[in-house]
Amino acid sequence: MSPSDIANLTRRDFLASTGMGTLALASLLAEKGYALPSADPLAPRASHFTPRAKNCILIYFEGAPSHIDLYDPKPKLNEMNGQKLPDEMLEKVRFAFIKKEGVRLMGSPRKFTKHGQCGTELSDLLPHLGSIADDICLVRSMNTTQFNHHPGQLMMNCGSPLFGRPTLGSWLTYGLGNESRDLPAYVVLHAGRGSSAGASAWTSGFLPSTYAGVLFRNQGDPVLNLGNPPGFTDEMQHLGLDAIGDLNRLRHKHVADPEIASRIGAYELAGRMQAATPELMDLSKESQATLDLYGVGRKSRENPGGRGGGPETYSTFSRNCLLARRMVERGVRFVTLLHASWDHHSNINQELPFCAGMADQPIAALVRDLKQRGMLDDTMVIWASEFGRTPLGENRGGSANVTGRDHHPFAFSMWLAGGGIKGGQVIGETDEIGWGIVRDPVRVPDLHATILQQFGFEHEKLTYRFQGLDFRLTGFEGAKVVPKMLA
Amino acid sequence: MATHAKLLALLTATALSLAAAEPKKAPLDLSKLPPAASGPVDFARDIQPLFAAKCYSCHGAEKQKGGLRLDIKAAALEGGDNGKVFLPGKSAESRLVHALAGLGESGIMPPKEKPLTPAEIGKVRAWIDAGANWPDDGKLAEKKSDHWAYQPVKRPAVPQLRGSDGAVRKGSNGNQRSNTPTLQHSAHPIDAFIRARLAKEKLTPSPEADRPTLIRRLSLDLLGLPPRPEEVRAFVNDKSPDAYEKLVDRLLASPHFGERWARHWLDLARYADSDGYEKDRPRPFAYTYRDWVIAAINSDLPFDQFSIQQLAGDLLPNATHAQKVATGFHRQTLTNTEGGTDQEEFRCKAVVDRVTTTATVWLGSTMGCCECHSHKYDPFTQREFYSLFAFFNNANEKAIPAPTADEQAAYEKAKRIHETEAKQLESALDSYTVTGLPPKLAAWLKTASLDAVPWRALTPDKLAAKNGTTLKADKEAVITAGGAVPAKDTYTVEAKIALKRLTGFRLEAIDDPDPKKGAGRSKDGNFVLTRFAVKLFVPGQFEGKELELHNAKADFTQKNFSVENALKGEDTSGWAVAPQQQKSHVAVFELKSPLDVPEGARLVFTLDHQYKETYLLGQFRLAATDAGGPLKPDFTPDAVAAALAAKPDQRTAKQTEALAKFFREQVDEQGKKLKAALDDHAKKAPAAPATTAAVLAEEPGVRKTFIHVRGNFLDKGTEVRATVPAVLHPLKPRAAQPDRLDLAQWLFAPENPLTARVSVNHVWKNLFGRGLVATVEDFGKQGEKPTHPELLDWLASEFPRLGWSRKALIKSIVTSATYKQASVNRPELQERDPNNLLLARQNRLRLEAETVRDAYLAASGLLNPKVGGPSIRPPLPADIAALGYANSVKWTESKGDEKNRRGLYIFFQRTVPYPMLMTFDAPDSNSTCARRERSNTPLQALTLLNDPVFFECAQQLGARMAEVPTADAAARIRHGFERALARPPSAEELARLLKLYEAQLKLAQANADGAAKIAGAAKAASEVAEKATLVALGRVMLNLDEFFTRD
Repeated sequence: MSPSDIANLTRRDFLASTGMGTLALASLLAEKGYALPSADPLAPRASHFTPRAKNCILIYFEGAPSHIDLYDPKPKLNEMNGQKLPDEMLEKVRFAFIKKEGVRLMGSPRKFTKHGQCGTELSDLLPHLGSIADDICLVRSMNTTQFNHHPGQLMMNCGSPLFGRPTLGSWLTYGLGNESRDLPAYVVLHAGRGSSAGASAWTSGFLPSTYAGVLFRNQGDPVLNLGNPPGFTDEMQHLGLDAIGDLNRLRHKHVADPEIASRIGAYELAGRMQAATPELMDLSKESQATLDLYGVGRKSRENPGGRGGGPETYSTFSRNCLLARRMVERGVRFVTLLHASWDHHSNINQELPFCAGMADQPIAALVRDLKQRGMLDDTMVIWASEFGRTPLGENRGGSANVTGRDHHPFAFSMWLAGGGIKGGQVIGETDEIGWGIVRDPVRVPDLHATILQQFGFEHEKLTYRFQGLDFRLTGFEGAKVVPKMLA
Repeated sequence: MATHAKLLALLTATALSLAAAEPKKAPLDLSKLPPAASGPVDFARDIQPLFAAKCYSCHGAEKQKGGLRLDIKAAALEGGDNGKVFLPGKSAESRLVHALAGLGESGIMPPKEKPLTPAEIGKVRAWIDAGANWPDDGKLAEKKSDHWAYQPVKRPAVPQLRGSDGAVRKGSNGNQRSNTPTLQHSAHPIDAFIRARLAKEKLTPSPEADRPTLIRRLSLDLLGLPPRPEEVRAFVNDKSPDAYEKLVDRLLASPHFGERWARHWLDLARYADSDGYEKDRPRPFAYTYRDWVIAAINSDLPFDQFSIQQLAGDLLPNATHAQKVATGFHRQTLTNTEGGTDQEEFRCKAVVDRVTTTATVWLGSTMGCCECHSHKYDPFTQREFYSLFAFFNNANEKAIPAPTADEQAAYEKAKRIHETEAKQLESALDSYTVTGLPPKLAAWLKTASLDAVPWRALTPDKLAAKNGTTLKADKEAVITAGGAVPAKDTYTVEAKIALKRLTGFRLEAIDDPDPKKGAGRSKDGNFVLTRFAVKLFVPGQFEGKELELHNAKADFTQKNFSVENALKGEDTSGWAVAPQQQKSHVAVFELKSPLDVPEGARLVFTLDHQYKETYLLGQFRLAATDAGGPLKPDFTPDAVAAALAAKPDQRTAKQTEALAKFFREQVDEQGKKLKAALDDHAKKAPAAPATTAAVLAEEPGVRKTFIHVRGNFLDKGTEVRATVPAVLHPLKPRAAQPDRLDLAQWLFAPENPLTARVSVNHVWKNLFGRGLVATVEDFGKQGEKPTHPELLDWLASEFPRLGWSRKALIKSIVTSATYKQASVNRPELQERDPNNLLLARQNRLRLEAETVRDAYLAASGLLNPKVGGPSIRPPLPADIAALGYANSVKWTESKGDEKNRRGLYIFFQRTVPYPMLMTFDAPDSNSTCARRERSNTPLQALTLLNDPVFFECAQQLGARMAEVPTADAAARIRHGFERALARPPSAEELARLLKLYEAQLKLAQANADGAAKIAGAAKAASEVAEKATLVALGRVMLNLDEFFTRD
């Protein structure tokens, strides 16, 4: 059986698919009641057990935000500002750009205050997130094996630093199917300039492209080629689609290929997407209060470095957060919100406030809005990136002019909210300077196992046969669900 | 320092464990080990039986868990993935003993059976302590496997079939190459195998497809293009018995055959036009390899040669240019130029990819997991993986010039013209030298004096460098830096002064004669002079006096690296000369106030280089002057200075010649003009074509190969030698040190059980949509079994017999009745063999991404059929390209009909792949792809309906229909339908299209502006409504399932 056949199995077969590849040909031929290739690969499916979460909004900030300046206060580090790291330690670690000679600890100028009933401390760059502190499960003990951005992004998105693996969004779409009749199951929205992971941030890898993220655009048609060609009215379009359907049905009668039936289905869905998407994207029915809550229409603050985006970036990100809620309302399974340029090797005290200023208000608004609408129980919101930043000042090229921080995979922060995640708590702890983890380390596969669990999957059983192996998101080196995260 | 100590204590525990991503190793409690037995232990009597009973089932001939086998002396001594398991004489430190006692990392061994008794463990300990004496068994570490794929290929007998007339008919044994199977009867061996299997299941094959279907199928399979209507007609009307075979031959000879089958191969080669990873820089000349593949396939380069050249063409005796370009196969690996990467890490990743890709493509074996540990299912150990790694470990990445024939011809022509013009300019200068110049020169020589040249070179008498550079001066006072290349260095130069007065100094940075080097010692030939200072030492005074300098000038400075910086003396700036580092440069420094030089005074110059690594001056010379006025950063040859210093009657002939040249080129106005014209012309010399090919080049013995423990390139395990997996046939190296060519030839050794099977299976998959082994990339235990094992073996024996001719193999398959069957599904087949594993019919296949595009362009008449050359960029919305790294992806749309070339020529930017390709399941080119998915999504529908490229095709198809000289709409529709689908519409279909025609026409007539846009007409006009209607119909025809399906 090929992977595409496996993908097309019915629910029962799907859940029992382990070992199917070894069945002898004869028994395959004898097997009755096996789904025909026409079965919709995106039909909603049940998971291994009742899920706590149905939808996911992944907010991914490429470049690695500084945990020390946002989520993990280190007064001791501030005290030790300007001191050297012991040589014994320097020998053991690896940096991307830092010159080992003369490197010094760098404190953070940020003020941290406690928020909510839980009293979680957050940076003054995140005042709005403070208002949802009781919904957030902040993990201060994330760590990854990857040191450079792209491999790190692949690790966080796909569970492996190698190319060709599906993202979390693809796995969930593959596992759960699509609840929406007229929108894609997995959508990607983007703000700001470029992206360092490119299409690998929403690839379906070895899974069929059915499970890849669909990129929504900020200009032109919201989905590439969604609009009719110039001159075509909706009426003309319908005439055409009807004729295509009829002629395909005639062909189906003749050649009896179930694949034609699914082609007819795909064209019908395309037509429905054309009709449904403008309504989705139209924010005119949203109240002014809602638009203001998310900050739609606000101007970006001054951005001296210019890397995090231009004057429109804040509003674009706000709009994306609001669209994410609207998509989830309409059954979209997985939404990724992307923004690049958190790679603050220099100018961190100008550029991080820009990026945080973009993120803070709309993300807090999203969580509050979901909660207010009773959607947060089913919707998991995740803030993530590939790694964190060092407590050392970056003296790139031996420069005395230190204004940023280098990569730091050994400890960093991220958070989850909703979807059965226990809010109002902090998991894990780093040492006094935010370098290493002293309590409850969480590896990327552990995080993935926990997320899958909330979506109703045993991470070891959500598999796909590729190149002779049953691949899974959490890899082969073992992964543990983090029970503390769960409500 | 108390804080440091505290910090250290705090951090080391966590940082150390995390930094290396290694689990903490708690010290073993060796007191729990049973004591070694006393008394003599004999291996054969006491130890081997224990191993056999307790270990062989996982660590023997069949399985080698963790890469370890204990049944053969040589293998046991080597140990497993993580190194040796017993150390003779040291039983307490031996991992074997730890494992038997349950103290090891992997728990107790054996894990499932009864553990060894303390007495038994004691015997093992005693045996190890006594030196682990193991009588030589002389056995090689051969492996046994009963898995079908590792068994030798045996040409099976062709089954006998009972024909419809009841007569027993034996399939032709196919032993004569010219023996083309007859078409009417199933005498073809392929059909014999397929039908024997069907007969067993009591299934009947399908009849031959009709001719329009056959020619469309063949054209799409062999060329990736649909047939033109006149080609369909010609074939349908060809009544000759060999009509089909002629068609096959014609298609195999088409240059488009190479494009179609190259695309299949490029999937395996993970071909792309950019580096991949974050920065994803373009590879503008990647196409040189792609074009090699097309040409090789078109010329039917035998598959063994085709493969060997790609793996090791550079190592073939007297390798040709094309054979070197072929090694571009393994240059398609990704390159990570992201800041802060460890290049060795990504070099190792590329080598790992070369191993896994080679294993997938030729051996149908999945070896990726062996990078970190031995294979869990197949008989490949981690050690064996790195033994394969060793074959590729000394292959370095190089670029060689690879101009296309056109580029080379254009260059040679331009060069000829340039040379002719240069000769004309030279002769103008020469004739002036003989005619106009002599009287002026004579006059000048009378008055010329040393004042014309203000600089006196300073001959150093002491040279020193702080950090290990060695400095040497030659007769011309040129100082050359040699020896070590420290990151930073400070040079001091001491010299006497011949002048009585000083006004300034000159520093010449002299280009290295080696064209690849420059005046500086950094890799790119640049230097950064961070400080230039001069001290004056007067006899009798202990302290030197720093001379104050200002007005520094240079003939050239790099942006942000002005020569003034050298007077500031900051480590972060200085004087540098990129991008002109491959030229000599000069800087001058004026004294703030002129200095009268005391008797016997000496100068000490400090030239400091404190900027980053190795930006050191390589060759330079110092000079001083007493000239007044602003100093100019110019050169004057020393020979001229010397000549001028001599009295006119004492000048040698050489000196006179030097003066004449100097006068002509630097003093005389007319001479300067003519020389400048010549120099300017020289600068305009045409550049040799920049096109290069990325190749592999062997540097034997540069690197040793070690196992990377758990795949970590920094954690080196035991050293390994280049060799092949033991489960397969032995390597026969040409010399003591096996190389890539040995490996490549080993793949094609007659006893190789995999290469031929895997290769014919690829071809089969491309012609039936599914391999005889469905998992074309995995012939291992986890892969699928062949549906027709005997047919697979017959083909695998046939391919080498056909001289590995790809075209002959394809011809053999497509002339079988099995291939030619109709693809129409039948109820009984749907019931009994829904996935058509037994091939009682052909498969219907959605076209691949590139072929979808090509079919559109071809049917509409837009296709530009040009073969080869640089990749193209069809229209793409700007915001899509902008998703590349930091807006670095520049997508400049190809001009004219370049943009209408075939899909395989689309520039493949790995991080921003062309959306249409990805929507239709093209591989992402990051790793080898042996098999594409064929998905069916609404995005595909939207692309084909609305993408401007495809809509333009619909417009063109509409225009073709409008051109038909008739007033009959049905005739127009029939024309368009045949263009698109190679067959006339049925009555029902025609009726449905006519109905659409009427309805669309009404709408178009009511909407003149819209109709004009649809038809692509400049303005609304009455006939435009019909044109727009035909466009709408064309769009429907091109969106029918049948159009982008191969029936």
